Amino acid sequence: MRDLLPRVLVGLVQIAVVATGVFALTSWLPGDTAVVVLGEHATPERVAVLREQLGLDRPWGERFLDWAGGLLRGDLGTSLLTGRPVAEQLGEQLAGTALPAALTLLLVLPLAVLVGVAGGVRPDSRADRALRAVIAVLNAIPEFALGMVLVGVFAVQLGWLPATAAGLSGLPLAAQPGVLVLPVAVLVCKQLCPLARQVRVGVAGASAAGFAAHLRMLGMPERTVLLRHVLPNGLAPAVQQLARTVDGLLGGVVVVEALFGLPGVGSGFVDAVEARDLPVVQAYAVVFALTTVLVNTAADVAARRLVPQREVIA
Amino acid sequence: MNRPLWSRRGVLAAAAAALPLAGCAPAAGGGRLRAAFPTSGAKETLDPHTASLFVDQARAKALFDTLVGYADDMSVVPRLAESWEADPTGTRWRIRLRPARFHDGRPVTAEDVLYSYRRIADPATAATSSDHFADVDFAASRARSATELELVLRAPNFEFPAAWGAPATEIVPAGTTDFRAPVGSGPFRFGAFEPGTSAVFSRFDGHWAGAPALPELEFASVAEESARVSALLSGQVHYAHDVSANAARRLDGDGRVRVLSAPRSTMQAVALKVDRPPFDDPRVLQAVLLGVDRQALVDIALSGRGEVGDDLFGKGLRHYPADLPQRTRDVPRARALLREAGAEGLRFELLTSDSDPYFEPAATVLAQQVGELGITATPRVRPSETYFSDIEQQGVAAHTRTAALPVSTFLAQRMTSGSGSNYTGFRSPEFDALHRTALATADEAERARLLAQAQRLARDRSGLLVWGFSNWNVAVSAQVSGVRAAVPNSLDWARFDRAALG
Repeated sequence: MRDLLPRVLVGLVQIAVVATGVFALTSWLPGDTAVVVLGEHATPERVAVLREQLGLDRPWGERFLDWAGGLLRGDLGTSLLTGRPVAEQLGEQLAGTALPAALTLLLVLPLAVLVGVAGGVRPDSRADRALRAVIAVLNAIPEFALGMVLVGVFAVQLGWLPATAAGLSGLPLAAQPGVLVLPVAVLVCKQLCPLARQVRVGVAGASAAGFAAHLRMLGMPERTVLLRHVLPNGLAPAVQQLARTVDGLLGGVVVVEALFGLPGVGSGFVDAVEARDLPVVQAYAVVFALTTVLVNTAADVAARRLVPQREVIA
Repeated sequence: MNRPLWSRRGVLAAAAAALPLAGCAPAAGGGRLRAAFPTSGAKETLDPHTASLFVDQARAKALFDTLVGYADDMSVVPRLAESWEADPTGTRWRIRLRPARFHDGRPVTAEDVLYSYRRIADPATAATSSDHFADVDFAASRARSATELELVLRAPNFEFPAAWGAPATEIVPAGTTDFRAPVGSGPFRFGAFEPGTSAVFSRFDGHWAGAPALPELEFASVAEESARVSALLSGQVHYAHDVSANAARRLDGDGRVRVLSAPRSTMQAVALKVDRPPFDDPRVLQAVLLGVDRQALVDIALSGRGEVGDDLFGKGLRHYPADLPQRTRDVPRARALLREAGAEGLRFELLTSDSDPYFEPAATVLAQQVGELGITATPRVRPSETYFSDIEQQGVAAHTRTAALPVSTFLAQRMTSGSGSNYTGFRSPEFDALHRTALATADEAERARLLAQAQRLARDRSGLLVWGFSNWNVAVSAQVSGVRAAVPNSLDWARFDRAALG
């Protein structure tokens, strides 16, 4: 626990750096909310009026300090585009994404361990090679293409599953779980590969390591060697990979939400950047940074728990 | 969406058990037509006067009415206005309203019209169509009775009725400032709306043109074209707005859907800025206009689904000078002009973006075509969100487009000196005078002649290289009847009050 404090401090600094950087980068993008909102109908006069109404005529330093001050008080501000509190908007979109993301994790975790262990205990067996091939193929197909194929087959041709979330009529996703099947399938296929491979490598390495051979020589049953000693050691690197899976999910969700018309952080974030809606973009940046820092810290801690120092393998 | 999280989980747990059975529930049912439109997420609004997205305009058409509508050739047809007439000077317009009611039962009156137009003209509204009412003297305009009003203009304009049919000029009840649950006089009444997701409206039985056939109408916002098409093919929606030429070709042979393709919907052009080098030299401008193979552009960039342009807006519309010989490619002449201007080996950047699906392919083809004249045009892709305001200031050549509008409106807003969206920097006192005189001419035939003359002048000098007109494609399910192919901005575009499911 003692070495957690510096980590938290570093994490806070990282979040502050991300927030400042994102603010600067978004400010440097051409155009602002006034220009984007008016679109093809923008004339210099209309832009000037709207800019004043939105307070965009103030210097950006002042706006940043305003925002940072608000953040310290726990106030994320209001959206330039909708005039709604950012926290409210963000909450809705996070809730929209949480469901497919959580389902994906729930499926990816056991699947990756299963696939990884199945391959790792007998490396280069027929099963191992088959699993590796399937996973590599899935990994090689971009999310977008995979999604299109799945929609084409299961929604358009067979009609088994809904193609998109269009026509949900504002119902929560949970009320129509069928809508989630294809998006989650795409996310799972994509995230399974790196994780399962990491588990496989870890398990194979631990299984072939000296300590495992020693335990087997002492007459410990193979089952116990595997479950009590090989698996924890093999999973340690995979836990680190899991942190990256969570990061990857954030990226995958952007593509999948667009493809299936799901409301959530992906479309919300892209919309906010396109509209130069700085308060919303900033809030996302902070949330994403916070998630990454938290998940990675948690992964480090978990990895240490899994592998007591005496059994660490190089 | 504001439920506590635990109930969401509860629902999820129950739902997960039913998962294998759930998926294939058909989206149709209950006579609700679902229409999928592209979106810009949270930017969506129900305020008809600030609407800039197609989905906003389509919803505004369902909830509200305008005084007039545009026929396919952009001539005006009566809607809320039953009849109108101008005084001999073209500055005083008397409009009589037909008997109509808002959804809450109040009659639509002259005061509502005045309020709506004042609100549109007010700079604080930042309304999309404020230009149309910039010349109205609201202090002098008045309601003569509940059903008759008089609008007074500061300058004569015998094409003024065109302003009353423009998008984002819907009539709202006097005093309306909040559009979260709007009341209009349109064929559908407001039910629910979530920006970027969906809007549900229901039939208004008291509509002046008769109640719609559909009990309910839902607008679903779907940003990706592929998602709109798969939603349509799988029966989740009945109407998919804005389908590209490529997707339309794929859908052509599919018995489940019909593609409604409205010809000459959008002018596809390159704006060559004539207020700065190199196109301030008329010979260089002429050389590029002659160096372009318009048919090849239509065949490749529009996949053949479109028509060639003749460097003028509005092919097929009222007031378009149809008697002009088509401009065709003349490479030797173009080369000679470049030589004469000392502009051989000319280089410039051609701005383009993905704000229109045809801009980027067209830029590639165009660069290749002018390359054969010895000109190096380098396509530069700019961000789509701010593209149309960027190209107003920057660069010398940029892809642009304009949906169908009355020709007089286009000339006023894009061609007159210093007008708001004059992308080419064209300034010509001669053109301005012709245009002004035309608007002040009461005689319809003479006005048409003057407008044609102004357009011939603009064709050679305005710097607008109109290479084609793209079709506007909408795909509908085979179950849908009562919708027809229509160009955006016209009365029949995205019109659902005659639609039926069956």
